[in-house]
Formats: sequence, structure tokens, C-alpha cells
Amino acid sequence: MRYMMLVYTQETEMEKASPEEMAKVFAGHVAVQQETQRRGILRAADPLKYTSSATTVRVKDGKTLVTDGPFAETKEQLAGYYILDCADLDEAVEWAAKIPTGCGGANGCVEVRPIHEFPKGPQGEPVVASRG
Amino acid sequence: MQFLLLIDENEERFASGFDPGDVPDYQTFGQQHASAIKGGSALHPTTEVKTVRVRNGKVLTTDGPFAETKGQLGGFCLVEAPDKAAAAAMAAKITGARFGCVEVRPIMTFS
Repeated sequence: MRYMMLVYTQETEMEKASPEEMAKVFAGHVAVQQETQRRGILRAADPLKYTSSATTVRVKDGKTLVTDGPFAETKEQLAGYYILDCADLDEAVEWAAKIPTGCGGANGCVEVRPIHEFPKGPQGEPVVASRG
Repeated sequence: MQFLLLIDENEERFASGFDPGDVPDYQTFGQQHASAIKGGSALHPTTEVKTVRVRNGKVLTTDGPFAETKGQLGGFCLVEAPDKAAAAAMAAKITGARFGCVEVRPIMTFS
């Protein structure tokens, strides 16, 4: 089953991190990605730009409203994600614990979310849905 | 450029099951943007979520999402778009944008 790992970190702490601390976190991500790739369970992993670059889109009565920033103000911010194919939630949690969450030991966390496997469209195209 | 579209909706809308009326809309979105969509999935509800923290080498696992928010992340879509405005226009076509919102986050690329 595929699991999405949402990596949350404190951006303000990341900005204070030294190049050495940054390199350590980067190396941690490389290690997780190499190991999960070797085991054939890495499906995706991407870092995100800071939430200052986020845009939130709402559609009300057919009108599109675009605002700057993320949809919710939170203490920690979404900084990236992994998608790993794990046997069960326990294995997913084990991998989540290995994913570095921020620079210089900044407080962060990883949220583990099971992915809902939806059928593909008629042409095999991805069909996204909120959830089923 | 790649963008992650995060679909945030009040999951109470699905408390008694998935609305089959959403499916054709999501399929149309998938077909219209087939070449731009690089990935996407729906997520199980936040009642099935675990949050993992590592403090002083110890793993702390708690039930539920990392923060209580008005809307909940219900799915995502990874798209290729020339710029953020184009990605936002795509986000506006996602069904969830009508019931909640879609957050557009540029993917960081390392040179």
C-alpha cells in the first residue's frame, strides 16, 4: 500500500541553519531515497519551496479567488513529501522516523497518510479525487 | 516547472461516503490536463493518520494529523505548468476548489 509522508518543519529555524546543518539534512534525505529506491519502494519525493511562494485557490459561485500563502497558518510548514510503497502502517512509520524534518534539529514532524487507490480513467489517465 | 496542488476540503462532506457526483468532474480534469499531470492521489481520511516525531533519538508516534485545521488534506496532484498563474488556473478546475481550497506549492529544484 502506498503512503504519503508529509514533512513538516519550522521555516524560521531552517533559515537560521548553518551550511553544515543543511548538508546533514540533505544527506539524510539522500540516504532515505537511496535505500528506499534500492528496495524498490520509492514512488516519489519532492522538496517544496517556502510557503511564502504558496498560492491558495478557491472557487465560489463560479468565481476563482486567488490568495497568497498557504491555506492555514500553522506552527510548522509543509516542506516536502515522500510516497513510499510499504507493507503496512508500521513499516511506513519506521521510514517516516528516518526522514529528516528540518535543518539543525529544528522541531518538525512527519505525517503518514495512506493513499486511497482510485481506478484509472478510461484511457488509463490519473483520476484525482478528494477521497472515497 | 512543477507544482504540488494540495486539495483541502472539509472531510465531513464524505462522512457518509464518497459523492459519486464528483467522479465525472475529476475525470474531466484528468483528461483535460493529462499531459500536465505527473501524479496524484486521494488520501484516506485523517482518522487513519499517524504523526511521527523524533526527539533525542526517540520516535514518538501519535494518532491524527500534525495540526487541527478547518479543512483537511484529502488529495493532491503534481502538475507541470509554465508558471504559477497557469498552475493556479489548473487548480481552479479541481472539484475540491469549489468546496474547500487548493494550495499551489512550487517544487524546489536543486541545480
